[in-house]
Amino acid sequence: MIEVKDAVKKFDGFAALDGASLSVPAGSVYGLVGPNGAGKSTVIRCLTGIYRQDGGTVRIGGEDVWENAGLKARVAAIPDDWYYFLQATVRDMMRFYRGFYPSFSMERYEKLKEVFNIDEKKTIRRLSKGMQKQVAFWLALSCMPDYLILDEPVDGLDPVMRRQVWSLVMGDVAQRGTTVLVSSHNLRELEDVCDHVGIMDHGKVLLERSLAQLQDNMVKLQVVFQDGVTEVPAELPVLHASRTGRIHTLIMRMNAEEATAKLSTYSPLLVDAVPLTLEEIFIYELGGADYAVKDIVL
Amino acid sequence: MNWEVRTMRSKTSFFNGTLFRKNLTRFWPLWGGASFLGSLFPLAMLLQLMRYGEISAVGRNPMEFTEAYYIILSQVVPIVSLLYAILCAMVVWSYLYNARSVGLMHALPIRREGLFITNFLSGMAMQLIPYAVVGTLCVLVSLACGCLEPVGLLVTILGVLGESLFYFSSATLAAFVTGNIFALPAFYFLLHFLAVLLDWLVSTFATGFLFGLSGSYSGAVEWLSPTVYLINQVDVDRTYEEVFVRDAGSVYGGYTDSVLSAVRLENVWLIGVYALAGVVLLALAYALYRRRRSESAGDVVAVMWMKPVFRFGLAGLAALLGGQLLYTLFWEQFQSGWYYGTLPMLVCMIVAGVIGYYIASMLLAKALRVFRGSWKGVALVAVGCAVLCGVLHFDVLGVSARVPEISEVRQVSLYTADNSYEFYPGEEDELLEQVRQVHQAIAADADYIIQEQNTCNWYSRGMGTTSFHVTYTLSNGLTVSRNYLLPMARDRMAQEGTYDHLLDQLVNSDAMKAKRIHVNDSRYTVNSGYLYLDKRNESLDLNSREAAAVLEAVGRDAAAGTWGTYDWFGSGNGGDYAMNLELRFTYPSEYGDGIAYDGITITVRPGMDSTVSCLKDLGLITDEDLVTYGELNPENYNDAELEWVDPEAYVFYDPERAVDLPAGAAAVTVG
Repeated sequence: MIEVKDAVKKFDGFAALDGASLSVPAGSVYGLVGPNGAGKSTVIRCLTGIYRQDGGTVRIGGEDVWENAGLKARVAAIPDDWYYFLQATVRDMMRFYRGFYPSFSMERYEKLKEVFNIDEKKTIRRLSKGMQKQVAFWLALSCMPDYLILDEPVDGLDPVMRRQVWSLVMGDVAQRGTTVLVSSHNLRELEDVCDHVGIMDHGKVLLERSLAQLQDNMVKLQVVFQDGVTEVPAELPVLHASRTGRIHTLIMRMNAEEATAKLSTYSPLLVDAVPLTLEEIFIYELGGADYAVKDIVL
Repeated sequence: MNWEVRTMRSKTSFFNGTLFRKNLTRFWPLWGGASFLGSLFPLAMLLQLMRYGEISAVGRNPMEFTEAYYIILSQVVPIVSLLYAILCAMVVWSYLYNARSVGLMHALPIRREGLFITNFLSGMAMQLIPYAVVGTLCVLVSLACGCLEPVGLLVTILGVLGESLFYFSSATLAAFVTGNIFALPAFYFLLHFLAVLLDWLVSTFATGFLFGLSGSYSGAVEWLSPTVYLINQVDVDRTYEEVFVRDAGSVYGGYTDSVLSAVRLENVWLIGVYALAGVVLLALAYALYRRRRSESAGDVVAVMWMKPVFRFGLAGLAALLGGQLLYTLFWEQFQSGWYYGTLPMLVCMIVAGVIGYYIASMLLAKALRVFRGSWKGVALVAVGCAVLCGVLHFDVLGVSARVPEISEVRQVSLYTADNSYEFYPGEEDELLEQVRQVHQAIAADADYIIQEQNTCNWYSRGMGTTSFHVTYTLSNGLTVSRNYLLPMARDRMAQEGTYDHLLDQLVNSDAMKAKRIHVNDSRYTVNSGYLYLDKRNESLDLNSREAAAVLEAVGRDAAAGTWGTYDWFGSGNGGDYAMNLELRFTYPSEYGDGIAYDGITITVRPGMDSTVSCLKDLGLITDEDLVTYGELNPENYNDAELEWVDPEAYVFYDPERAVDLPAGAAAVTVG
């Protein structure tokens, strides 16, 4: 498993990580979400051994990451801005990765060549941003990692290729038990692939749960009150309320049964529980941490 | 999997072949281009040898090739390595200066020491490949000429290896001090030349404050600037043998020629010392890498504790350099006397120092807004400037008054009264003590001399002037050098205890007269001379035998009191014979090829019977040549006191010493 405990990382006095803790169970896909500047990339850089945390522990598979070449040989990472040598072709970079990762599989590399369909003799610099991302996946997956750490991995990929890439990752998780940590702003996509989610803000992990737990802890209700009731009763514990005509949309931090029971005392004409998307959970959870929640269309 | 991992870790901890190969293939234009440029020189040499048909010449001297190798090793390799090492360092360590590349390299399954060693070896390979190519071509050329000399070749190879190691190690250290690729060469060259730069700056600055201090460079810490030190210290020592070359075409059956019989590289051990220093620098660089934060990519200074050093160091350099520049621009024209005005210099230093402080702050912060809360640093810079100016103005360290004890010195060089002298403790302690007493008297009379220097009308007041430049070489190798321009007054010369009196007593003593012509000094050998006769307008060269005879005759005249008394007040040469006699000496030296040269001009006057008679006996002069300048050119010597007047020149007019000026001479009244 991947485990970060009370990690602190400061840059010139600014704490990018301020006691962050997270735990990724082995074989799971963990989505790390948070606003810009929350500390997601810093956690990932600590997990890949680029940064050394100032405090706390950063461990993978029970071993400290820092300067642990043996462990890092089992970890492949795709940063948000993947680096390649200026004049390098895909094949050049493959040789480079193969020289470092003992588990690098040429068989996998050849198979993935058919999936990505990129000319491996072409200079990477001349490929589009999306194709460069594909190359990053191609090489990372060819390393046959036990742990895959992805920072904004599908940015720039077209929808078909996104699906393809996630399918490959999910295949590794299913067949090889690969543990995946992925940070993304694309919450809809995470919703489809993650089984665990952690929400970060201001250098801390505010909450981490399984997706089912998270969705069960918050509910969205569409309510139509009886004639004469135009406002939501003040005593209801509502995180957020909006109104379209006579229909009130309420977000409440409880499960659907509990919320319906509370509303029933007002004899509403209509109560309908709608599942929240991960994006909505993300926004309303962070709204509690003074995040500027606005009625934005996601 | 675990077994695989452990095996891999032990295998790849210290070196990664993939990274090594990648570095060489990525940056081949650098070492390929350098190899190509370097190989042009041996190829040009080969063509030249072929052109003159010497490629197959039998009996060509292998020492000439060794000499060429050594010259290149001592004079060319330090400069080439200095420049090329930084280029190699800039490419192999370039990944440290970009957040993306440092992310890739540090995320790879290799420890920092593995990256360090692999990249260092890649850089060293890039550094050595061009030398190997050029060296191989040179060896082939030597073999083609049948002149391969293995000892010279081995010394050269070891020297190149040592210098390459040192320079690339120092470039590596500089690479880990900074996080910015543009700052890397700046730090590197600063590291290599800071010592000589500071020496020059401080010496120049102190000379503007302290009485008698001379020279803009002391060289005391030159060893900290290895390129300068190696070029100055490592030198080629050649030994020649005279051989008779048979030549049937010559009337003598041949001729004598000098043949290079041995070549030695002096102080070559210094390269070894610097190579060891390179190992130490490398260890320091590795220690910095262990602590280096990947996030420092882009920072001008990557090491936290060096940031204040950089900030205040740059401020200090700016204060010294910029302060003197500002002073020269804005205040020097108002300066009275020879020395800096302390207050204006302080103001200039503070202005330049504060500018330097803010530039350093901006570079560190990578921002222009660095003014808030900076008053403490600015105040510290101002206080530092004030302390430095105060220390120099009041000569707190007693530099001006310092006269080394005889027991401290190894050698003393003196230039005064138009002559140079060397003194050695244990041989001439009495004279040496007299030199010290003159020096002490000068230091004690500093206020008087400075005041006189500011008036600048010595000649119109009947005074003379002389230089007193003394250099004490201390037992520890350091030197104390002072240079004074002294006004010489007749009245003071009569007063015991004044420097005028003491200097006259010293210079005109019999011992100094003898010393001037190196009588009884086995170190000096008179080897030639030169005589110019004005009347005949003819130059004559004296061989060593003739020069020795003349020297002996001058010695006899000195003993008789007819030669050697120095005229402090320039009573002119109208009474001297119209001839110029020079004698040249050689003596052993620690520097260069071990031989130094000295010369003395002998003023021949009526009464110097021994010298005149010797010159006659040698057939160099006749009685007709014994005319004085006054007799030869009477128009130039029409007054007893103002013997020679250049009609083109201005002459100071002093009513008390009024003389009839020659027609055409302009008179200037001195206020």
